[in-house]
Amino acid sequence: MTPDKELIDLDAPLSPDFQPVIRLIIGGIAERVDFAFEEIDDLQLAVERLLAEAGARDTVHLSFEVGQEAIRTRVGPLDERAITVALRDGDSRPGQLTLERILKTVVDSFGVEDVDGDGVMVRLEKRKAYT
Amino acid sequence: MSAAPHRSSSPAQARREDRELLRRYHDEGDTAAREELIQRHLPLVRSLARRYSGRGESLEDIEQVGAIGLIKAIDRFELSRDVSLATYATPNVVGEIKRHFRDKGWAIRVPRALQELNASMSGAIERLTGRLARSPSIAEIAEELKTTPEEVLEAMEVGSAYSTVSLSTGPSGEEELDPLETIGAEDEGYERSEDRVALQPALDQLPDREREILRMRFEEGLPQTQIAQAVGLSQMHVSRLIRKSLSEMREELT
Repeated sequence: MTPDKELIDLDAPLSPDFQPVIRLIIGGIAERVDFAFEEIDDLQLAVERLLAEAGARDTVHLSFEVGQEAIRTRVGPLDERAITVALRDGDSRPGQLTLERILKTVVDSFGVEDVDGDGVMVRLEKRKAYT
Repeated sequence: MSAAPHRSSSPAQARREDRELLRRYHDEGDTAAREELIQRHLPLVRSLARRYSGRGESLEDIEQVGAIGLIKAIDRFELSRDVSLATYATPNVVGEIKRHFRDKGWAIRVPRALQELNASMSGAIERLTGRLARSPSIAEIAEELKTTPEEVLEAMEVGSAYSTVSLSTGPSGEEELDPLETIGAEDEGYERSEDRVALQPALDQLPDREREILRMRFEEGLPQTQIAQAVGLSQMHVSRLIRKSLSEMREELT
């Protein structure tokens, strides 16, 4: 019997050489849920923008909970201060392009899930638009 | 060889007609004259675009990029110049096409089969989007192109490649310092963080087209398919421009 959710954990280097690999992995996972081309692109963009806020770390952890029609992605640790300002206190003005605005556009929901003293984890929820 | 604009008159007559249209556009703001100039010189764009076909990008996409160079040439043309519009536009069109390939940065590294698959994907996605009235899945694209989902994903990644400054290196190529280590007082730290996530200042540095695409995507919330139709590019091209613009803006602030 197939479980309701499949879990995939990945520790990836933050080196630019591995950014396409991370995108490819996200694409492969999202394809299993039958995400549309544009939905995959959205999730890849969200993760890419978050990785840009990782700070000076060498590696980043990504986890994926793959459901029937949705993927929950966790990315971290990320730079706590940048993420806190962007996502918790982020009250962007009209016309201002912030990380918060980008994430609001490309994923269904997001939030800071865990603060462990060494950066934060950001959770992204992306659901299929058409089922 | 240069392609003549579409017209039945002699080259000299055509040049006079171009100048009259340019005068009407630049002096009187006649946008119909601008549109006519674009239509008259699209054959030149097509001719130049063909020189760059077979490099892993669809001819249609190259023509679209070249047309942007043509429009820039028309908009920037100075009536005081003693040069034909075709002569003035040619380096603009070629420059825009070359910049497009340079930005993608793939011509040498990517296997030809994947380049060709990527090139055929734009058309497939547009056909399927029209047919299904939604963005197609990877499996649907694969079926349309008679290939596997894995190859489509690889080709997608090929198409998303572009030259950019590393996300984890600073402008000098050295490892980026943790922002928390580069700042002193607490207040300055927050100020800096806000700068890093509020991309507005860097937004102003982008070309008009890219700024408009970001505005449509993140202010109006339009899907890529609608933006692609509005700006006359393929959805894949719009996707690349969004990613590239956001990366450039982020780098601008580091």
